[in-house]
Amino acid sequence: MTSHRQLPPPEKERLKLGFMRLTDSAPLVLAKEAGLYQRYGLEVDLVREVSWANLRDKLVVGHLDAAQLLAPLPMMTSHGAGGMRANLLTGLSLSLNGNAVTLSWALWEKLSGGRHRDPVTMARALKAHIADRSDNPLITLATVHLFSMHTLQLRMWLAAGGLDPDHDLRIIVLPPEQMCDSLARGIIDGFCVGEPWNTVAVQQGIGAIAATGYEIWNNAPEKILAVTETWHNHHPASHLRLRLALMEACQLLRDPEQKLAVAELLSQPHYLDLPVKNLLPSLTGQLVIARNIPPLTLPDFHVFSRYQAGFPWRSQAQWMVRHSAALLGKPIDEASCRALVQQAYRPDLYREAARYLDLPTPDRDSKPEGIHRGTWEFQPGIEMGPDLLLGGEGDITVD
Amino acid sequence: MLVDDNPDRAQLVEERLWGSGFDVVSVIPSATGLLFQIEQHSPDVVLIDLQSPDRDVLESLAIVNHHNPRPVVMFTQQDDPDYINQAVNAGISTYLVGDIDPAHVKPIIDVALAQFRAFQSLRNELNSTRVQLEDRRVIEQAKGLLMAHQKMTEEEAHRMLNKLAMDNNQRLPDVARTVLATLSPKGGGKTK
Repeated sequence: MTSHRQLPPPEKERLKLGFMRLTDSAPLVLAKEAGLYQRYGLEVDLVREVSWANLRDKLVVGHLDAAQLLAPLPMMTSHGAGGMRANLLTGLSLSLNGNAVTLSWALWEKLSGGRHRDPVTMARALKAHIADRSDNPLITLATVHLFSMHTLQLRMWLAAGGLDPDHDLRIIVLPPEQMCDSLARGIIDGFCVGEPWNTVAVQQGIGAIAATGYEIWNNAPEKILAVTETWHNHHPASHLRLRLALMEACQLLRDPEQKLAVAELLSQPHYLDLPVKNLLPSLTGQLVIARNIPPLTLPDFHVFSRYQAGFPWRSQAQWMVRHSAALLGKPIDEASCRALVQQAYRPDLYREAARYLDLPTPDRDSKPEGIHRGTWEFQPGIEMGPDLLLGGEGDITVD
Repeated sequence: MLVDDNPDRAQLVEERLWGSGFDVVSVIPSATGLLFQIEQHSPDVVLIDLQSPDRDVLESLAIVNHHNPRPVVMFTQQDDPDYINQAVNAGISTYLVGDIDPAHVKPIIDVALAQFRAFQSLRNELNSTRVQLEDRRVIEQAKGLLMAHQKMTEEEAHRMLNKLAMDNNQRLPDVARTVLATLSPKGGGKTK
């Protein structure tokens, strides 16, 4: 615990923080309800938004001070892809994992035979299914945003089964809240979305989970706390205090009791406005992938603070930029990619905050991926989680 | 094409756009069917309510399909930066489809902007009227209660509330609420 007298006074005390109706907005909500923002001298209004585009635009024009954003978005917004161009940055990652690929019940049953299968087997079965029905309309899968881990994970999963995501099927973008309805009405055959929307589909009996994000890439980056570079320059102390409050909330979320409590908080009308039963499976790591199948125990389904979850790894940011740029059909050269990452992912800001909390931090800004099957030591005192990904080892080059 | 889940406002905007000489090819409440509507009508411009979750859908078309909806902000560098801020304030976002000249779009946005704003101020007015009425009601109730409890005249009750407000540096309706909460036998002023 830090002594607040050492902290510089906030330039601005009342902040507007944007979030989406997703289970992994837990740290933002808990920090409010547990009085952590107040503890750091901030009065934070949580503003629920309906699209990532709104969060981004409202940050850029200054209607929001900070926002929960998809991990690749700061770089892609700085790059000017798809919307307003502005330099965004992050000094804190809010969560790892949290997504899953859900297929319609009929398709899942056909591919799996009604049993739990590993993700690669499911993807191969999908390939065989698509080959069998070459005359039929294309299979359509939805993701939540082009520049998201959802899109990248969905494509990794498809590729692991030998499918070409650009030609063998169609990938479209839909808002998370419309996924279940679109699946039920047969407009799409499946989706990759964050919780609770996979669980909602399972509980409604309209879909079943074919792969979790964790299985596709163990401990992949997911949501980050974003501000504009200009805002950060004008409010370094408020930004620091905001990161500290959220880091404390993330730490509280290690405790299983807190996860139960946070499910109650999140379910309230002004936050997620959904029944607690939709939120508990992923938060407690007891995920039901299909009706009639006992829950799987997945303690790392959401990771809020273990394994240096808050650290914004530049190696992962580079990977995200390269792969997101490939989707644009306009690759970004290495030098520009590096410049985008240097500007948008700020491990120095994470280290600054961690010092106040006496937390150890990694000495380097890059980490290997696709190598570790279990927990491992990055350097003395820094425990990291598994980092395997579908598609094999050494898939990510680290510099 | 207009995407707005508020039918009254949508109608207003549509009428004004027609009146200003623009063709409104389609008005839909939500983007369920947005992709299909765009394919069907190939609009030059899509005006979308900021409260619609479908902006992410529209933007994905922009990127994937080379022919597709681009947010108008990408073309407004020459405008004063305030323009985008105004649009966000009013709650509207605009996308260009096809090769339309951005210069031709500004009048369309202006019309929509004016209507969105008019609608907003109407709503604000309604809200403030509602608040004023509620304040007056609470003050009257508090006065009534004081008169009954303290055997005061209406004049005295009013003076007492005013004095409490001044001493505590509070608004009159807030003091009235405190009085209601303390004196009311049910432990709080009932609403409605």
